[in-house]
Amino acid sequence: MPIRPSGGLPGRPAEQTNLADILERVLDKGIVIAGDIQINLLEVELLTIKLRLLIASVDRAREMGINWWESDSSLQSVGPGDDSERGQLEQQNRELRERLERLERQLGVGNDDSPEESSAKGTSASGG
Amino acid sequence: VADELGSWARRRAPELLARAEAEAVAALRDALIDAALSQRSGDAPVRPTRRSTPRDARPAADAPTGEALWAYCVVRAGEPLPPDASAIADNGRLERVDAGDLAALVSRVPLAEFGAEPLRENLNDLAWLERVARAHEAVLDGAIRQSTIVPLRLCTIYESEQSVREMLEREHDALARALDVLAGRQEWGVKLLVDEEQLAEHARSRSTETAALEEELGARTGGGAYMLRRRLERHVRETVDALGAELADDVHSQLADLASGTVVLAPQNPELSGHEGRMLLNGAYLVDAERVEQMHELVAELEQRHRELGAQLVLTGPWPPYNFVPGGGTAALA
Repeated sequence: MPIRPSGGLPGRPAEQTNLADILERVLDKGIVIAGDIQINLLEVELLTIKLRLLIASVDRAREMGINWWESDSSLQSVGPGDDSERGQLEQQNRELRERLERLERQLGVGNDDSPEESSAKGTSASGG
Repeated sequence: VADELGSWARRRAPELLARAEAEAVAALRDALIDAALSQRSGDAPVRPTRRSTPRDARPAADAPTGEALWAYCVVRAGEPLPPDASAIADNGRLERVDAGDLAALVSRVPLAEFGAEPLRENLNDLAWLERVARAHEAVLDGAIRQSTIVPLRLCTIYESEQSVREMLEREHDALARALDVLAGRQEWGVKLLVDEEQLAEHARSRSTETAALEEELGARTGGGAYMLRRRLERHVRETVDALGAELADDVHSQLADLASGTVVLAPQNPELSGHEGRMLLNGAYLVDAERVEQMHELVAELEQRHRELGAQLVLTGPWPPYNFVPGGGTAALA
């Protein structure tokens, strides 16, 4: 295993290359040329998502509003035949519906900026 | 009622959906993050252990037999093999497959472990992935000491030498161009870490508004104090973030002046990298070989300049030029 000293800077101990440094490069970078062994891209993309979440400093990212994984095409790619991804989509769908209902209820009691819609809201509250 | 509800819903739908979707995506993101992190909980910070419950482990009887060729990188034909580099598979050795003026460094791997099906399983095992990723990296580390290389992404696998040669011929122009661009240049990584408390302290000392808010807060009670405290917290957070961004910009732009290419990577998760403090910058820089020493000096100088913030500049390299292959990253050559 090569030692990758923190070059040039005196007094810093040389240590084994950290895994995050390697994974963020070997998984994500480097030229992409099709090989003969075809891997299910969806699964590999899922793996990449998981690892990206591990690699990125998620706490800071959340605080700072960094959301590259939202706009990442691999996260948004959707296909049949992958249970975990379908599960996530179902969960997202469920959450969306719940949130929509909650929002409708909130609007229904008139805490928002739409006073002109009070008559409709009255009937929509908890109507399902 | 249904009509009223319908028309109301139609009017409000786009906005509601957008808001709900944003919230759902945030919730999903949090769930994903939690899931990913909990999967790692209990693992050692740097060297994770095998997961205790591999999901639907495949029976060994299904495993294919035979071998395939794992490709590491592309070099000019005739370049020597890196000495002492151990291949991915236990008993493998490095070989060079030449095609015209290009060559690929490869080694044989068993299909039982690297065939499509087992590979899919194994890629989800972080311990396996780490071993393979480190071995791949080790070969490339050896190769860059003596040649210009185009690093290949992990898991570029071929059935035969003939198949590797066909790839080299098919991608010849792009690969040759990449080798030209990368010749005489090195990839270096620079991370900027700061001590959270020192950064916050420095940000506080620069902001007169913070002091004013704190003074005002001392004189308030009840709901007013609560609101003011929230405002103060937000203000401190914003000031710290602004100072952090300023610092990262300063470091990055000075390094960029020296480099012939830059890539800013996402900050790393301390659980995996083991770093302490806040990572403000995770940059990769492509540097001409003759400017590397100058770059090392600049890094030391920048660290000294920002010492009052507890700044630490972590320099790593030289790396295989993963981040600077023309057409690399997300773009496929094929």
